[in-house]
Amino acid sequence: MAGGGHGEKSRPSKKHKSSKHVQEEEVNYVEDFEEDPREGDKEGKKRDFTKLELKPDHINRPLWACADGRIFLETFSPLYKQAYDFLIAIAEPVCRPESMHEYNLTPHSLYAAVSVGLETETIISVLNKLSKTKLPKEMIDFIHASTANYGKVKLVLKKNRYFVESPFPEVLRTLLRDETIARARITLEGADGSDSFSISKAVGEIEGHHDELLTGIQLAAAAEEKETHSFEIDPAKVENVKERCLPNHLNYPMLEEYDFRNDTVNPDLIMDLKPQAQPRPYQEKSLSKMFGNGRARSGIIVLPCGAGKSLVGVSAACRIRKSCLCLATNAVSVDQWAFQFQLWSTIREDQICRFTSDSKEKFRGNAGVVVTTYNMVAFGGKRSEESEKIIEEIRNREWGLLLMDEVHVVPAHMFRKVINITKSHCKLGLTATLVREDERITDLNFLIGPKLYEANWLDLVKGGFIANVQCAEVWCPMTKEFFAEYLRKENSKKKQALYVMNPNKFRACEFLIRFHEQQRGDKIIVFADNLFALTEYAMKLRKPMIYGATSHQERTRILHAFKNSPDVNTVFLSKVGDNSIDIPEANVIIQISSHAGSRRQEAQRLGRILRAKGRLQDRMAGGKEEYNAFFYSLVSTDTQEMYYSTKRQQFLIDQGYSFKIITSLPPPDTGADLGYSRHEEQMALLNKVLSAGDDMVGLEQLQEDADDIALLKARRSFGSMSAMSGAKGMVYMEYNTGRGGRPGQGQLKSKPKDPSKRHSLFKKRFA
Amino acid sequence: MPQVKIIAKNFMDMVASLPALKLDKLYDNTFICEAVLRSLPALAKKYVLQLLFIDVTVTGKSLEEWLLQDGFSKHRVAVDRLVQLRVFLESVDRKKDSSYRLNPKFQINLQKYLVHGGVLPREPMPSSITVRLPTLEELDAYALEQWECFLLQLISSSQAERPTSFSSSMMKIFQRGLLSQREKEAPRLTVNGFQFLLLDTNAQLWYIIREYISNSEDRGVDPADLISFLLELSFHVTGEAYNVNTLTDIQRSTIKDLADLGLVKLQQGRKESWFIPTKLVTNLSVSLSDSSSRKQGFVVVETNFRTYAYSTSKLHCEILRLFSRVEYQLPNLIVGAITKENLYTAFENGITSEQIISFLQQNAHPRVAEKTPSVPENVTDQIRLWEADLNRVEITPSHFYDEFPSRDVFESSCDYARDNGGLLWEDSKKMLLVVKAEIHMQMREYLRSQK
Repeated sequence: MAGGGHGEKSRPSKKHKSSKHVQEEEVNYVEDFEEDPREGDKEGKKRDFTKLELKPDHINRPLWACADGRIFLETFSPLYKQAYDFLIAIAEPVCRPESMHEYNLTPHSLYAAVSVGLETETIISVLNKLSKTKLPKEMIDFIHASTANYGKVKLVLKKNRYFVESPFPEVLRTLLRDETIARARITLEGADGSDSFSISKAVGEIEGHHDELLTGIQLAAAAEEKETHSFEIDPAKVENVKERCLPNHLNYPMLEEYDFRNDTVNPDLIMDLKPQAQPRPYQEKSLSKMFGNGRARSGIIVLPCGAGKSLVGVSAACRIRKSCLCLATNAVSVDQWAFQFQLWSTIREDQICRFTSDSKEKFRGNAGVVVTTYNMVAFGGKRSEESEKIIEEIRNREWGLLLMDEVHVVPAHMFRKVINITKSHCKLGLTATLVREDERITDLNFLIGPKLYEANWLDLVKGGFIANVQCAEVWCPMTKEFFAEYLRKENSKKKQALYVMNPNKFRACEFLIRFHEQQRGDKIIVFADNLFALTEYAMKLRKPMIYGATSHQERTRILHAFKNSPDVNTVFLSKVGDNSIDIPEANVIIQISSHAGSRRQEAQRLGRILRAKGRLQDRMAGGKEEYNAFFYSLVSTDTQEMYYSTKRQQFLIDQGYSFKIITSLPPPDTGADLGYSRHEEQMALLNKVLSAGDDMVGLEQLQEDADDIALLKARRSFGSMSAMSGAKGMVYMEYNTGRGGRPGQGQLKSKPKDPSKRHSLFKKRFA
Repeated sequence: MPQVKIIAKNFMDMVASLPALKLDKLYDNTFICEAVLRSLPALAKKYVLQLLFIDVTVTGKSLEEWLLQDGFSKHRVAVDRLVQLRVFLESVDRKKDSSYRLNPKFQINLQKYLVHGGVLPREPMPSSITVRLPTLEELDAYALEQWECFLLQLISSSQAERPTSFSSSMMKIFQRGLLSQREKEAPRLTVNGFQFLLLDTNAQLWYIIREYISNSEDRGVDPADLISFLLELSFHVTGEAYNVNTLTDIQRSTIKDLADLGLVKLQQGRKESWFIPTKLVTNLSVSLSDSSSRKQGFVVVETNFRTYAYSTSKLHCEILRLFSRVEYQLPNLIVGAITKENLYTAFENGITSEQIISFLQQNAHPRVAEKTPSVPENVTDQIRLWEADLNRVEITPSHFYDEFPSRDVFESSCDYARDNGGLLWEDSKKMLLVVKAEIHMQMREYLRSQK
């Protein structure tokens, strides 16, 4: 060993930020490819905590805690379940594979812990009980420092008056020394002096989950009634007061709670969960975090796709029973949310209204549910008269619950706008992947609230609540000719097109589609970010496709056929399918191109097939079906894609998923009948890629249509219209023949009737 | 320097390789005779016992008469071994027929042993003098700790907490074959070194002891004496105290080295000092293939390439560092990650993916050891693929030609190389040519002829 030196060689810290990724589509925002925080800063610092003192009975305790905030949890410990519930409340999960979990204690995670009612001393004492070693002093100090100010101040909307509430009068005094806050205060007439606060009693928090770990005395103390002091502030200045309290100013971030039971001003909305809506244990748990003390807390609940986020949302609305504004990312998911409300709750149909550019339903009655998109609310430009009216309605109303779907994709500035426009008592954010620890997540913490609950993917898989997915990375070697072109400098802009159009990749894709359609009768989604590839693949294989420019009606039609028709088993999706399009039937995903190293996209795509299918007992650990869903990521070897692929998988790998590498697809002795098996065909394809304009082979680019807020008619922004009309015919030749000369018709109907024109695959089937 | 092969050979192979004089001298010691007898194959043992009280030579033919039809090969093995160890003294007559008799010293010692019974090589000291001796558990822990400390110093001198008293030249001898030592370069573990670390303790110990013995002459110690002393030690009782005064000067200096290796524990009383053999030394002469001493596994490998090693051992940490990035060290846990970069370093050092995988599998923590596979498939696949990735380039020795005097010469040279099946690459624009090394001489001739 070179003095222990060379073993520590670090990964080169590459920053792959490419300006060409700056496009937007639907509410799918650009993501920075932040380096994994675990890399980079790892090196250099020596993380030697061998000096920590082991407790004599350390074997019975489940975790190690390091001075830098890292916590390791044994999942095979008898105390695992309790420890998990506790850690998820106080720390950020880093990775959660089978035997050992890692967590990080961060100021944000502690903020979240405090806001669900855990107190500093409780955090420290429980952590100490669970730890195999004596807690490092640094960690104790860190917890003290991070929680000293958190959770001390609450903002409560009672009978439509805003109160700043705290059990510590001295904290309120500190706040009032701030000019902005002092000015916002409304002093009751007759009250003299400013240090007298109104005092009320509130029932203390009882944290059921940690009972086992707390002594009787601590419990009693927690359950004791506490005095709270409060003063009222001017509703118009709430935003200013909140801002002054943020960590960069006074550092007393306010928790928002809604005492909905005592809200007599806003009309109740009569809705209950239907009897068949039985929340699962983890859904119950997440709701209990939200409604822990009889009030509704604002915050974020993180559940994997397919684990039933919508039921959590609907349940929350049913508990609060006030008007609810539900925000989704696009029109398709607006429809789906409206449907979910009707499916799970007893709400009357006329109490739900959808507000999108296509469907501007009128808001009737004094209480109800409005489902719309972020863009519709945040749009700053000129609206149609009709829309303006509805927006006015949304602005003026006081919402009991602001339900926000897919909060991870919406950037902070849009949230700010939405939150400023709408007045709500309680905000609930839902997401599957709170991947980033960057600035935006920070904003979410303070704009919506802390993370209230995050489920463990593997536990849900074991419980049979989500599908057990076999993930595979399929290595497709570049063909000689494609690789030669890939390496040429002058093709730098076409690199992506070249590795996506690699004939070996196409063949692997076709092989997989055939295998799953024919051998297993599966429903398949093929994802391609690269529009050129999407079109080429879909046309060559004669499958329907959906991308940004596909109209809402067309999308609905294709999805309907995919769900119901036995003849439509594969659908090609561009990025539009990443979020929110609910396709519960699909159980196979083949990814042929993707957005560089986006961990979130990978997780979102996997989420499309996570909804559990089949019978519960088959899915449970040890059940009949080991895997019931398949996720294939096709990568061309020796290209950038390999690098991206590793990055992309990181989030899923941290959740405990593993990617099996498949190196020879199609198997060597088969595949003669697959597309592009002959050299001439491959060369023709290569020519086509090379002759296409640089802008045509890049990523799908979608623009906001100035008139239409919901982006439904977003169109590709590349090139001139002549490209669309076929003037640059090369690219679209295949397109035309594939359609059998019947442009304008939906792709579903474009199956050629003439048997001689049928694809070999279909010939077999129809024969 | 001869290539050091790590084969867990028997102690007796070493004994057998001693020159005749030395070997005969060894048999002065009854314990050696007993140890040698124990080490023999069953048939050879039988021959020795049958001939023990026969004082004349026995012809090979009469020995063969005892054989069953199918026993001949076993007979050959037995006799060869006996001759090797000079237990049988072979004489060949004019007709080239062999006859054998037992080595007289060996014979007399064993006869005495049978008649009078065995005695311990040394009497343990009475407990009134030694007061408090370590328990067997404490002794085992001590032995293991000493051994690991030694290994750590062996593979990475800077890491050892308290260096052993071995001289650096002695250490170098142990290290040769295990570490590559180049000028101005920190020593790196070789393939053999890595394999060595993966061996079980007995096999490692044997390797070191063998080096220790084979080097003894340089220290002015007779290897035969050393072997005899080590074998004698293996007849002592683990955990008992033996007076150091009963040792010769050479043995006394040897015992200090053995203490550094954890074979014995030295203790100092008020007046007397004594040594306590550990199980390492008492196991020394037994068969080394014995795997009952296999330690419990300690490594958990997760699907995300992270490794969690339940170990307090710095040595384990160093071993893991060979192919993974150690990120956290906790009192009883080492957290690391297997990364491509670390594996590439390992591969460069000659460690193979199979060695790494088998190390991870053999040392799998009981939690995961019962699962199949004990190391996640995606991890093992990836390790193999990364290794395969490095083997994609084939290297052909070749020669590069440039500055051709004219295009004609360049083109004819290309043709010539092509015709001889040696053309690897040409750039006709810049007139550059690469040919296989085997036609380089022909090519030179050809070019000379072109001038």
